[in-house]
Amino acid sequence: MSSAVFPPDLSPAYLRALTVPVAQTIGMAAAGMLVAFAAGIPLAVVIGTRAPGHRLLGTVLASLRAIPDLTLAILAVVLVGLGPGAGVAALALFYTAMIGRVYGSLFLAADAAPLEALRATGASRISLAAFGLIPLTLPDILTFGTFAFECAMRASIIVGAVGGGGIGTELIGALNALDYHRALTLVIVLVALVAGVDGLGMLVRRDPRLALILVPAAAIALWFDWPQIFAFRHALHTFAGMFPPQLRATQIASLPLLIAQTLLIALGGTLIGAVLAAPISLIAARGLAPLPVVLVVRRVLDVARSIPEIVFGLILVVSAGIGPLSGAIALGLHSAGVLGKLYAETFENVPAAPIASLAATGARPLAIAAFGFIPLALGPNVVHTLFRLEWNVRAATVVGLIGAGGIGQALFEAQQLFFYKEMLAYVLVTWGLVALSDWFGERLRIHMGWHFIAG
Amino acid sequence: MLELRGVRVVYGPGAPPALDDVTLQVGAGECVAIVGPSGGGKTTLLRSINGSVPIVAGTIRVDGVDISTLRGGALRRMRTQLAVIAQQHDLVDRLLVYQNVMAGALGRWSTLRALRFLIAPTSAEIAEAREALGGVGIAEKLRERTSDLSGGQQQRVAIARALVQKPTAILADEPIASVDPQLGEQIVALLCSVARSRNIALICSLHQPDVARRNFDRVVALDGGRIA
Ligand SMILES: Nc1ncnc2c1ncn2[C@@H]1O[C@H](COP(=O)(O)OP(=O)(O)OP(=O)(O)O)[C@@H](O)[C@H]1O
Ligand SMILES: [Mg+2]
Repeated sequence: MSSAVFPPDLSPAYLRALTVPVAQTIGMAAAGMLVAFAAGIPLAVVIGTRAPGHRLLGTVLASLRAIPDLTLAILAVVLVGLGPGAGVAALALFYTAMIGRVYGSLFLAADAAPLEALRATGASRISLAAFGLIPLTLPDILTFGTFAFECAMRASIIVGAVGGGGIGTELIGALNALDYHRALTLVIVLVALVAGVDGLGMLVRRDPRLALILVPAAAIALWFDWPQIFAFRHALHTFAGMFPPQLRATQIASLPLLIAQTLLIALGGTLIGAVLAAPISLIAARGLAPLPVVLVVRRVLDVARSIPEIVFGLILVVSAGIGPLSGAIALGLHSAGVLGKLYAETFENVPAAPIASLAATGARPLAIAAFGFIPLALGPNVVHTLFRLEWNVRAATVVGLIGAGGIGQALFEAQQLFFYKEMLAYVLVTWGLVALSDWFGERLRIHMGWHFIAG
Repeated sequence: MLELRGVRVVYGPGAPPALDDVTLQVGAGECVAIVGPSGGGKTTLLRSINGSVPIVAGTIRVDGVDISTLRGGALRRMRTQLAVIAQQHDLVDRLLVYQNVMAGALGRWSTLRALRFLIAPTSAEIAEAREALGGVGIAEKLRERTSDLSGGQQQRVAIARALVQKPTAILADEPIASVDPQLGEQIVALLCSVARSRNIALICSLHQPDVARRNFDRVVALDGGRIA
């Protein structure tokens, strides 16, 4: 099997042929994020200044965010037609909700005294944002903005997989043609793109003005994709055809099984991820392992993190076949990358004093780990893992579409067969399921006294 | 030009009034200190004047206008007449000093102008900021990052911002609570002198009766929400 995959196809002709899809993928991500920032920041200001209706807005954004991006992309492809326009529409909607909600909570948490003083000058809401909310929360805004952009780049590839264009579409094409050399090339390109965004993010955090260089790219992409986004009549007609959402009796009867399958994939994926991440994180934490080892392991984790679940899924389908187990492993590999990094950072952040006093007793390394590190790092790591579980419920509905089973597969099959009323029904079920798991996760964190802002 | 008559504030059903039958007049250029024990109602008084705390009885007039009749945009315009200075930490410390100072003009600027100012301030705007900073003795800090200033300098920036607002009155709630006593007295003296020279009514709450007596035209004691 390895000779079927290695080496990647790096022939000049193929690489040249990739420039358009790569540009499309970057363009979709940039254009989606441009819209998301342009629309999301004003919404966040509405929330952050507690303008009338801010509560309702927060709820709407939270529930929008509960529709997985791929599900949105499928909807967009159906409504807008194949191509990058659909991808941009889906990304814009998903990330507008995300930016609006997360920036809104950052604004709400901003230092109150300067804001009170600005409000007392009679400043308008927008001035309040420009002179107060944004400068007060700038580091968090930039960190989260880069994170969101990184996610958008991955998502841009994902939405390509359902016909949004770009290298996602190429990847599906290569896999369908059983050309795994090219598939590997595409995975490498994807890893490089995400790494590029990561690097850019670091620069932007140092000098926020650098973010402006993306605006032209985004504007060009928007310009090219515009006509499709606004193929309104076609969209409205198709949308009307989705109503009312309905399922046949046998489909309703099989819903519990589908939901259970999705939840099992999520649970299994999280478990695999955590089990892999636990030992790896120990050699990925500065202070626990020699620096060269740490750097190499971190790189490996970065790569695992930058490959979306569905791409792992596509690769696994080739080697391990279709089914829930492949889905869970796909989630597990990506989760291992994410959790490995987070666990390692937790270990690095463990306060030094208690560890030093343990070491001063002459305790052996294993004892220090058992009495110091692990108890101190447990709390944050449990939170990270629960967050991942929550995320994986979303991801489990997504890997369904490559045949891992569950609600996602049912949704995708309905779309492929043009059963739009059924498709919409499955979209609503997905939405409800993810919203419920988000809500449950949130309750649990509040109950345990852990408040974090969820991405 | 502030006029309070029989003002009463109650925070919740069954709670004792935080302000009870408070009557007070402050003329243009007059400096009044409010002293009294913790919980006496000083903050409540200052907040009620700019409409942040609703009153249940009495009237508050600013330049003859009853503020309890104002809502939305009208209230916002009224607030531009009332500059507020708080204890501390009420500057946006990531902004440059002149940006914080000119934030005092936000009430009279259009939003577009405010955004343009952040990106490309005109020389007239910079000059206005320098003039206000000169009034509090730190003109040379114009282009520094606000977080690089000391606590006392930051309080001066807050006063400069209040001056840029061109207010009818300045409401200062314990403006020197977080600086050392000697510096505190300097800042209070500065506040009174700029208020007098620009004909602004000043109401300032303080915890130090001696500082109040030395610097203000009048000292009012609030205890249990009543003027003693
Ligand atoms: N937001 C509020 N909700 C309920 N009660 C309040 C509120 N703010 C103040 N109070 C009450 O009103 C009374 C007056 O409080 P206020 O803050 O005006 O006093 P103060 O003189 O400013 O005190 P300090 O010197 O400690 O700042 C107190 O009994 C206080 O408990
Ligand atoms: Mg007070």
